[in-house]
Amino acid sequence: MASVLIVDDASFMRMMIKDILTKNDFEIAGEASNGQEAVDMYNELKPDLVTMDITMPEKDGVVALKEIQSNYPDAKIIMCSAMGQQSMVIDAIQAGAKDFIVKPFQADRVMDAINKVLG
Amino acid sequence: MSQEYLEVFIDESQEHLQTLNDNLMQLEKEPEDISIVGEIFRSAHTLKGMGATMGFEDLAHLTHSMENVLDLIRNEQLEVTSHVMDAVFESVDDLEEMILDISKGGDGKRDVGEAVKKLEVLQNGEEAEASSETAASVEEKPEPSASSQISESFDEYERTVLVQSVEQGYQPYIIEITLDENTMLKAARVYMVFEVLEDIGDIIKSTPSADDLEDEKFDSSFAVTVISTAEADELEQRIMKVSEITSVTIEEVNVDQASEAEKDNKKEDKKEGNESGADSSSQKKEKPAKQDNNNDKKESAGKKGSELNKTIRVNIDRLDVLMNLFEELVIDRGRLEQISNDLNNSELNETVERMSRISGDLQEIILNMRMMPVDQVFNRFPRMVRSLSKELGKQVSLDITGAETELDRTIIDEIGDPLVHLLRNSIDHGIEEPEEREAAGKPAQGTVLLRAYHSGNNVFIEIEDDGAGINKDKIIQKSLDNGVVTEEDLEKMTDQQIYGLLFASGFSTAEEITDISGRGVGLDVVRSTFESLGGTVTVDSEYGQGSLFSVQLPLTLSIIDVMLVEVGSEKYAVPLTAIVETAIVNKNEVYSAHNQKVIDFRGKVVPLVFLNDIFDVPAKNENENDFYSLVIVSKGDKIAGLVVDSLIGQHDIVLKSLGNYLSNVFAISGATILGDGQVALILDSNALIK
Amino acid sequence: MAEETADDYLKVIVFQLKEEEYAMEVDYIQSIERMQSVTRIPGVESYIIGVMNLRGIITPVIDLRKRFNIERFEYDDATRILVLNKDDNEIGFIVDGANDVMDIPVSEIEPTPEVVGGVAEEYLRGVVKLEDRLFTLLHLDKILNKSEEKKTGA
Repeated sequence: MASVLIVDDASFMRMMIKDILTKNDFEIAGEASNGQEAVDMYNELKPDLVTMDITMPEKDGVVALKEIQSNYPDAKIIMCSAMGQQSMVIDAIQAGAKDFIVKPFQADRVMDAINKVLG
Repeated sequence: MSQEYLEVFIDESQEHLQTLNDNLMQLEKEPEDISIVGEIFRSAHTLKGMGATMGFEDLAHLTHSMENVLDLIRNEQLEVTSHVMDAVFESVDDLEEMILDISKGGDGKRDVGEAVKKLEVLQNGEEAEASSETAASVEEKPEPSASSQISESFDEYERTVLVQSVEQGYQPYIIEITLDENTMLKAARVYMVFEVLEDIGDIIKSTPSADDLEDEKFDSSFAVTVISTAEADELEQRIMKVSEITSVTIEEVNVDQASEAEKDNKKEDKKEGNESGADSSSQKKEKPAKQDNNNDKKESAGKKGSELNKTIRVNIDRLDVLMNLFEELVIDRGRLEQISNDLNNSELNETVERMSRISGDLQEIILNMRMMPVDQVFNRFPRMVRSLSKELGKQVSLDITGAETELDRTIIDEIGDPLVHLLRNSIDHGIEEPEEREAAGKPAQGTVLLRAYHSGNNVFIEIEDDGAGINKDKIIQKSLDNGVVTEEDLEKMTDQQIYGLLFASGFSTAEEITDISGRGVGLDVVRSTFESLGGTVTVDSEYGQGSLFSVQLPLTLSIIDVMLVEVGSEKYAVPLTAIVETAIVNKNEVYSAHNQKVIDFRGKVVPLVFLNDIFDVPAKNENENDFYSLVIVSKGDKIAGLVVDSLIGQHDIVLKSLGNYLSNVFAISGATILGDGQVALILDSNALIK
Repeated sequence: MAEETADDYLKVIVFQLKEEEYAMEVDYIQSIERMQSVTRIPGVESYIIGVMNLRGIITPVIDLRKRFNIERFEYDDATRILVLNKDDNEIGFIVDGANDVMDIPVSEIEPTPEVVGGVAEEYLRGVVKLEDRLFTLLHLDKILNKSEEKKTGA
């Protein structure tokens, strides 16, 4: 059972992803609501996977991704983006993000991305 | 969609709407401060994502259009004019309506066509050139679907590269890749494919070109020519690992056919050409990304001022349950105190004493948890005042102080509408038109001060304007016309009491009800709303100088101060807010007037209300004495004396409802549980004053 | 009721009012309490004897004997208050005694004869005969309907 750290500043979004994941038997390692929390929690929890929102207060998802990747090059991070964030997504992929999903989330799309990254 | 999601969605949407409103107001004040736009953008963006996820398409659509406009603003391609602000504000109004509809169980659908059109006009006005350019360039490009059948034509140079690579043991492939038709951010997907391919080979060419792919100028398929030492199978597998790829077709390129080669320097050329190509494209990709980063940094810098609070959301029902449980504890605490007193064991006494102290602290915490800053209500006023003053052609600035003052959640929920009414009243009837103000030697812009502050067990909310003030003669005339008062009454009234007639029922008449403050509802409704919350509202004014409306509210509804009284063997609680004073009078001071027993109390004729009669209290055989115990209560300026058997004393009690089954019990507004576990009824003295 | 088939059982609580046995669906019943102190409420229907403090919740209490115009009886050790929860409102019913929970086959519920133990037909859902016992099944909604009573009562 793989563990996932969910990062999003909107608790509503976290809930959506959490719901999708728990229905598919993933373990929720934790939830972070900004980039800094994500970095801290990654250090602490070392989850198998991270879903990382891009637009967040304090520290955005791309910066957080870069920090995590620099400490843990093997970290598996999926970016959660909205339409219109193409360049940020590409920046994130360049920095080592394994995949990205676009809001609005579709459960099968999310699971597809996760399975591909973990598979 | 589950209710749980919906609740969180609504909560967070409302927060974001508030952020939008606050920041837009801020932006309007400081149009040069582009950093605010980042914050606004982020809220709109989050709303869009949440709305789309919940399937509220109109909401997502509108926020998307807002984003486009905001994006132009933050890239300084669009100036913040009042025209722009109006369009954005209107969109926020639409969003508010949608969220409101959703919170009431609606489907959040709304015709956003007009709002979107306005935003698009703004967007296109500034972008007209750019967009026509893109349109033209799209036409020029070969239809991407043309490449659906793999046939790639290579120019001289490319052919040379291919031949060379074959000589060096590479195999050229033409790969056609089809993305899922629902793919969003296609360019990013393409980028991922390119990354995979460059990992195990080199990309010679793509159709459409890399630039067009980046600009998403293709449907769902694109073709790349790759040289690699890897097998076709492996390439396919690797590409399929990228999400949202529906199919991959790989063909080996027959170089002989592509033929004819130049023989020198090709390798360098190829390498160089390829690298520089890659460089330029990745630079292009990075540029916008960097811009975004900068913007985000600005956002976070702006955000740093407000420390992020660690909070959790708790349903108010749960707090009510907690409160109930705690009250039970308080009742048992009372018993325990009694028992420990009786047993007089020092260790027990100590423990019980400590427990009492702790539960006292706990009580404070629980009550505090229900407290919310009045900002919850105030925060929508700036917007309202803005649009109202535009509507009326008046210039009004609203100054708010004390927004952090806290009140019980139940009260917060109720005071919004009456306060709106008072504010509208001040702006509509108080603040004059600019010309009129200037003629009177006042600044053209009127000021409305909205103040909240805490005093003793009450919170005061005041609305003060520097407008025309109240015309006393007009009030008197209107009150007489409408039969609210008689000439006789008026003679005895102070100015403030006369102003108070504004709140009398029957004062407002249809004729003076304007669109703004009227709405068919008089200020009497405002008064009764505040009174039902245990509060009061008064008004003072100086003609020509302005008016001051002052609202007094209890801190909390759940715990109120009462006077406990005994009637027969029953106990009743009279809220202190209604009590003028208590008195004991000799029975021979009681007179009869028109079948009504009255006393002369401080020069006023006060009717007596015998609670044992009103409530049919079973008579208790007690030796009659010569005195009546009275609780003098008031309702507005009318007073009455409640006759009781004895006054027990003043207590803080927890107000509880009698429930639906027992609604509308005459002169009883609720019940409370006393220290001994017994239930005492709370008197609604307003019902007893005629 | 419509979806209940002949094989269904209705779980009921059995209680007594003046030598008769009555039954009420157990689903509504929250708890059974001993008689406790009740605060009178002035100016309401006489069968509402007042409110009690049920673990911090103010709960109205109805005397079922009075509700059905059955002769008065002093509350004693056997007296119980059935606490019901209907539409999120808790209401207590004072009965002479309550100690049985039973499963009644729905097929055994028969239409009511006109009057059973003085309780008007409109409050009744049916009667059930099991071995040598006769239970009268009560109609909760009707009992809680105050306007109904005003027409028929007093």
